[in-house]
Amino acid sequence: MSVAILDARQWQRTVDLRTGHQVEAKGPLVDKVRTVVDRHPFPGDRDPAGNTWVVDTALDFIKAYDPGFAFLTLARQYYSARYSPLSPDERAAMAQAALDEADRFARESGFFTVVIGTGGLTQATTPIDLSDLDGLGVASNWSARYAGLYDPSRQDLDRLSANPGLERLATREEILSLFGGAPGDGARLPDVMVVAKEGHYYKNTSLRRLIMIPARNTFIPVSANLGPVDSITDIKARLLDALGDRKVAVVLLEGVGKADFTVSSNTCRNGVDWYCYEPVDGQYLALTTGKHAVFEHNGGYRYFLDDTEHKPYPFSGYFTKLPTGTIGQDYPGRSIAVGNRSMFMHVTTGCDIACECFARNLYNQGVMAVIHRQDK
Amino acid sequence: MECPYCERRCRLTEGGVGFCRMYELSGDVVRERFPHRWCAYAVSRVETIPFYHAYPGSRCLVIGTASCNVDCRYCSNNYVAKEDPATLQDIMIEIPPARLADLARKHGCHSIVFSINEPTVSLPSLLEVAVAAREAGLVMGCLTNGYGTPEAVELLGEIFSFVNVSLKGLSPEFCQRYLGIPDSAPVVRTIRQLAAQCHVEVTTPVIESENDHELSAMADILASVGRETPWHVFRLLPTYKMSKESYPSIDALNAKLEDLRERLPNIYFHNFIGSQWVDTRCPDCGEMVITRHSLGCGGDKLDQFLCDGDRCPKCGRRLNLLGTKVEWDAREVGA
Repeated sequence: MSVAILDARQWQRTVDLRTGHQVEAKGPLVDKVRTVVDRHPFPGDRDPAGNTWVVDTALDFIKAYDPGFAFLTLARQYYSARYSPLSPDERAAMAQAALDEADRFARESGFFTVVIGTGGLTQATTPIDLSDLDGLGVASNWSARYAGLYDPSRQDLDRLSANPGLERLATREEILSLFGGAPGDGARLPDVMVVAKEGHYYKNTSLRRLIMIPARNTFIPVSANLGPVDSITDIKARLLDALGDRKVAVVLLEGVGKADFTVSSNTCRNGVDWYCYEPVDGQYLALTTGKHAVFEHNGGYRYFLDDTEHKPYPFSGYFTKLPTGTIGQDYPGRSIAVGNRSMFMHVTTGCDIACECFARNLYNQGVMAVIHRQDK
Repeated sequence: MECPYCERRCRLTEGGVGFCRMYELSGDVVRERFPHRWCAYAVSRVETIPFYHAYPGSRCLVIGTASCNVDCRYCSNNYVAKEDPATLQDIMIEIPPARLADLARKHGCHSIVFSINEPTVSLPSLLEVAVAAREAGLVMGCLTNGYGTPEAVELLGEIFSFVNVSLKGLSPEFCQRYLGIPDSAPVVRTIRQLAAQCHVEVTTPVIESENDHELSAMADILASVGRETPWHVFRLLPTYKMSKESYPSIDALNAKLEDLRERLPNIYFHNFIGSQWVDTRCPDCGEMVITRHSLGCGGDKLDQFLCDGDRCPKCGRRLNLLGTKVEWDAREVGA
């Protein structure tokens, strides 16, 4: 059973991750994790100390648990650029500060640390309105580039094809073909995937004005110490190889592309052909599982369909199950994940202990730490 | 001319606007400046609003516009509610009433809920949406600060079947310092007025040492409105002008609520992850009838609905519910 320690500052409760019900958790790690979490209240997504919190908490977990693998995500620069009107110099300084935190982690932990950028950002332009269609247009808060279209009329397709903010319309069959899927793999794909051009985004669920959004990142930077990597899906295997004889960490920098990546690096492909990942579940899973998971995790799926009271994992957002084949699951040694990108830590990494900010739309609710395994 | 919608009763002159900047004078008529322009539409669970006793488990389409008529120091949606609405129009979406109702239908929603800012600042649009929603078989709900005129509140009661009113504080000192209004009398009046018209739940964000000493007096007011009125006591999430403040102590606030639970059976304490004070028990026999998960600000969800319709499954007592459980996919197109 995976247990989740919910920490709302000076107050904790422990639940079964699957049911969400309170449990009297026992085991060698429970008290240790509670103590570490209590020591590190999350300062906030855009707080200047947001990334420092990740590194400090990870270093504390390393002392308490002695893992061989650590997965860190630093996202403060992404949230800040996304919602705050910053100058290019301010954005570059934030990206550099994130790289400096990654360097501090490497120095203080002694881990062989691979730094990866999820891709650069670009200015958000006029939103695309999908509300006036005969069919149903579905966009999510965190995907600027992809939206789903269900039961579209001929007129819908004609109108969208003529929309200057759109790059393409891709049918379910085209997506299946692009990623080598069988017809039965397309249940969670929309009838048509709507793909926005760089700088454009869909307007429906975001209350806040978007300033910067993910660019069309065909390639993303990977620190040169990992050696050349062709694709994001190759990284997991390379990390597992490196874990054979040393302690290894990944530090994922959200919203940082090649232009701001001031350490020696290579680039790797961030998708397939025209399909490039944004910093959401699909990209995380491509990195942590070594496989493309677009059929289940794409910007156009109607996630709300699954949101019944019977859905398991109530504290895991829209995930209805925990993905398998993640790097944390496949590495036999001890592992931790810490990040300020909420549920992605405990869902996508598979690490024994995953500690994350519990924030929604920048509202800072506290911290959640999930203990997946206590038997190592 | 006096704006008829809220208790500020702003004097509108030709070319001018009032406090909320959402109405203007056109001849001798007060009209909306930005009708049918919405800041967002999104599918959500009715428990997230929060409504715990209205159509449990149902799916709603959440909408909002811009601006507000009070000035809370801790406004969590300040980026919509406190900005000049004119400057937000480039990111608003114009959706006529029939299309909005159709969007709710296509998303499989049971209701349309206005919950991002204050409905009083967009009443004429909402009146038109209500007509379209009714024709589409949808009910409507809202959150309100309760600072409307009696005439405007009458309209709220006509538009909305379920309303959650924020009773943020009682004393004039608190109201002036934290809300920017002279006193709470209009809000209390609104709660009583709406309770006679529709289903009412009440929300109170608590700031430790500032309004927690008023909880007992608030409980007296709610008891006089209806002993089983659902009352959502929120641990304040420090945001906006209070973002540097400390988070209130959960244990200390809960201790203050213990006595009140003897007087009011439906007190909930949440707005933080993992709250264990979000379940409903039968007021008579104490049987657990509804359980929920608390995911903090805007994230609560139904866990188990154990009632027999709107009755306690053990003793058969009727519970204070509007409707009964609505299956999540009950309105799914093609379901």
